[in-house]
Amino acid sequence: MTSSHTLSRRGFLGMTGSLGLAAAFGLSSCGNDSGSGSSGGGGTVTAIMPGTVPTGWDAVLEQVNEKLEADTGLTLRAEFINWSNYQEQALLKFTAGEKFDNALQALWLNMAQLQQDGALADLTDEWGTYENLSATLDSRLIESNSWDGKLWGIPQVNSAGRCQHFAVRQDLADELGFSEITDFETLERFFYAVKEKDDGTIPFGVGSGSGYLNVMPVPAGMLNAASWEDPHTIAKAFSGRGLFFIFARDAVDTGSSRPVPFWEDEGAIDAMHRIRQYYQDGIINKDAINTDSDTIGDQWTAGKYAANWAMTDGLTSNAMPALTKAVPGAMLANVLPYSGGFDAKPNQTFQADNLVVVNANGGSVENALTLQDWLSIKENHDLVEYGIEGTHWEPVGDDKFEALGDYEFPGYSLCWRASLQRKASYMTESEDRVFAWAQDFDNFTVDPFASFIPDTEPVEKELSAMESVITEFANPLYYGIVDVDDQLDKLKKAAEGAGLEKLQAEMEKQADAYLSNNA
Amino acid sequence: MAEMLSARPETDASGGSKGKKRRPAAPTERVSWSLALLAVPGVVYFLVFAYLPMAGLVVAFKDFNVSDGIFGSPWNGLDNFEYFISTGSAARIILNTVFLNALFLTATLAWGLLLAIMLNEIRLHMYKRVTQSVVFFPYFVSPIVISVMLQVLLAGVGGEGGAVNDMLNVFNLPTLTWYTEPGAWPWILTVVKVWQLGGYMSVIFLAAITAIPPDVYEAGVIDGASRARMAWSITVPLLRPTAAILVVLGIGRIFYGDFAVIYAIIGDNGVLFSTTDVIDTYVFRALRSLGDFGTTAAVGLFQAVLGFIFVTIAVLIQRRYARDSSIL
Repeated sequence: MTSSHTLSRRGFLGMTGSLGLAAAFGLSSCGNDSGSGSSGGGGTVTAIMPGTVPTGWDAVLEQVNEKLEADTGLTLRAEFINWSNYQEQALLKFTAGEKFDNALQALWLNMAQLQQDGALADLTDEWGTYENLSATLDSRLIESNSWDGKLWGIPQVNSAGRCQHFAVRQDLADELGFSEITDFETLERFFYAVKEKDDGTIPFGVGSGSGYLNVMPVPAGMLNAASWEDPHTIAKAFSGRGLFFIFARDAVDTGSSRPVPFWEDEGAIDAMHRIRQYYQDGIINKDAINTDSDTIGDQWTAGKYAANWAMTDGLTSNAMPALTKAVPGAMLANVLPYSGGFDAKPNQTFQADNLVVVNANGGSVENALTLQDWLSIKENHDLVEYGIEGTHWEPVGDDKFEALGDYEFPGYSLCWRASLQRKASYMTESEDRVFAWAQDFDNFTVDPFASFIPDTEPVEKELSAMESVITEFANPLYYGIVDVDDQLDKLKKAAEGAGLEKLQAEMEKQADAYLSNNA
Repeated sequence: MAEMLSARPETDASGGSKGKKRRPAAPTERVSWSLALLAVPGVVYFLVFAYLPMAGLVVAFKDFNVSDGIFGSPWNGLDNFEYFISTGSAARIILNTVFLNALFLTATLAWGLLLAIMLNEIRLHMYKRVTQSVVFFPYFVSPIVISVMLQVLLAGVGGEGGAVNDMLNVFNLPTLTWYTEPGAWPWILTVVKVWQLGGYMSVIFLAAITAIPPDVYEAGVIDGASRARMAWSITVPLLRPTAAILVVLGIGRIFYGDFAVIYAIIGDNGVLFSTTDVIDTYVFRALRSLGDFGTTAAVGLFQAVLGFIFVTIAVLIQRRYARDSSIL
C-alpha cells in the first residue's frame, strides 16, 4: 500500500533524469522537423524575413501559393522576425542548422561572417540559368555584388545608385524664401532660418543607430559639407560599421591604398565640428543619440522637423499621407546638395544594402532561386510587393500604384527589382526626378573599391574591441554632444589600445591585394 | 522493503551499528507520488531551460564557426576568456556591474522593507490593498516604457528640456543635459530600480511580517512600546532571515547587469558608458558587431562562476556571523 503511493529519492531522481533525456530528444527531433521539406523540384520554400507580418498577408499568401504551386510546384512559407531581434535570431538559425531556404542578409548584418564560415550557398553559376531572374538583374549589379568573383546573394535593389540625402519640408522652405535648395550652404541657411522662426520646429531630425552617416563620406556624409562638394570617396569599414577608413585618392594609380582612420580626414573633422555647432544651436535634436530612427520617423510625419534623412529608393513620399494629415498644406522635396547637381556622378559601389542569401546547410538553391525567378515576373512581383490588386492596391498607369489599404510587404528582403518597382501615386515631382536619376548606372562613378569586402577573420578580436571604442567615443561625436577636440583625443587613445595599428595594417594589406588583383 | 529502508539504522565509519541513534522515518526519506507529480512541471522547466542549455557552454572554449555549429567548431582553449580579460575596459565594466548591482540591491531592499513596514501599519483594509497594488504595478512596466518615461522627464521631446529641468527652472536652479552627465546615472538608475522593484520587495517582506506571531507584538504593547518602537525592535529583527535570503540571491546575480533596463535606457550613448556600461551590455554589443558566440559564452560562464563563488562566500559569512538567519 505504502509503496504504491510513495517514491524513493533514487526513484524520483531517476524519473526526473528520464524526463530530461526525453525532453532533450523531443527538442532535438522538433529542431529537425522544421523548415523546408524538399531539396528541389517541389515542396516548400522557406524564407526568413524581417519585420512584422503584413496586414492582410494570409490572403496574399493564399493567392501566392495557389499561383506559385501551379507554376513551379512549390509553396512559400514566410517567417517574419521582428526587426529588433532579426540580426541575432537570423544568425542563430544558421548556427542551429535550421532547415530554411533563404534569408535577408547584408554586410550590415552578418553576411561576411556567414560567407567566411561557409554557411551561404555559392550562386555564381546558378543565377544565370534562371531566365526571368537574370533579365531583371543588371550585369553591373551582379559584378559589384560578387566577392572575389563569387555571388553569395541575390541583390535586392529598386534603383541603381543609393545616395543618402535630405527630405525637406518644401512648404517651410517656400515660406522662408528658399524656393529650391541645391547646395549645402543654402541648406544650412535654411536650417538656421527655421531655427530663427522659433515655432518649435527642429531644423533637422537625427536618429540613433546610424550617426556615422552624418560624418562619413559614403560618398556624401549628411553633414559633411566637403563630401557634397566632392562625392568621390567612400569610407570603408571591415564589417560595414565600426571604425571607418578612408583610402588614398590616388590608390588606383599608385596601387597603394594607404588607409587612414576617419578622424584624419579633413572633411570628417569639419563635419564633427559642424555637428557640435548644430547641437549647441538647436539645429539638430538634442536627444538624437537616445532616440531611435522609428521615433524620428513618427515625429517627422507629425511635422516636428523641417528636414529628415532620405534615400534614393522612392520611399520618401510615403510620409506624405500622414504628414499632410498632421500639417495641412505640407509639401516635401528631395534635396541632394551635390555642388555638381545631377551631373555630380558620385561614387557608388553598387553593393546592395539587402541581399537574399541561400542557406548552404539546410536550404535548397534550386527552390530558393525558383522562387526568385518566379518573383521576377511582374504579375507575381506585384502580388507579393503590393498585395491583391483591387483590394490592397490598384495600378495607376504602367509604373505607378495607389495603395488601398495598409498592406506593407518588406520587399527588400525578397522581391525588390529595379525594373519592376512601381512608384507611389502620391510620389512628389521632386522625388520622381531623384528616383529616375538613381535608376541609371551611368549617372554614377564606380568606386575603385566597389567589390572589396575585407576579411574580418585575422582581426576578429580587435574589431570587437574597436566596435566598443567607436560606440563609446565616436558615437557622441556623430551627434555633437561633446567637445570635439577633447573627445577626439580620447577616441584616438582608446583606438590605439584596441588595436588600431593592427587593423590599419590589415586593411591596407587586403586593400592593396584587391587593387593588385583588379589592376 | 519500504519499512526496512526507512528503519535502517545509521552505521559508523567502521560499519558498526549505532543502535540508539535511529533516524525516524522522516518525510524527506520518501516522496509522495502526488507531490512528485506536482513537481514535474517545475523539474522539466529547469531541466529544459536551465540544465540542458549548459551543454552549450562548451562554445566558450571554441573558435566558433557558423557552419560547424557549437559542438563542431574547433577548440581554442582559453582564448575567448583572454579576449575579455585583456580588453582595456574589462576592469571598468566589472566594477560598474558590481557597483550598480550593489546599489540596486541595497536600495531596493531598504525601500522594500520600509514600504512593507509602512503598508503593515495601514489599518484601512481597502486603502492598504489599493496602495499595495499601486506600489507593485511598476514591476510590470516594460523597460522600453521606462526608457520613454525617463526621456520625457529628463530630456523632453527633441531633447529640449524635460519635466525635471522645467521644475528646476521654476526654482531658478541650473538645468542639466542629463543624457551627457555620466556621474548622475548610477543614482538615476537606482531610483528607477527602487521605483520598479520596491513594491515587489515589499510584498515579500509583507508576507514575512504576517508570519510573525501576534503575541510578540502583544508583549510589546504590554511593555508600552510605540508602533515605531515595535517596528524597529520587533519587525525589523524578525525580517532578518528574509532579508538574508534576498541578499544571498542578489549577490548570486551581482555579476549580471540588468541588461533590459540599462540597455533600454542607455542604449549606445557612449558618453554614459563610464558609469553605466556593464558586462551584459558590453557583451551584447560584441555579439551584435561580430556574432561571435564564443566570446559571449565565455563572459557568461565567467559571470556564472563568479556569481557562484560570491554566493558561497555570502552564505559562509552568514553562517559565521549570523547563523540563525543563514539559509544553509
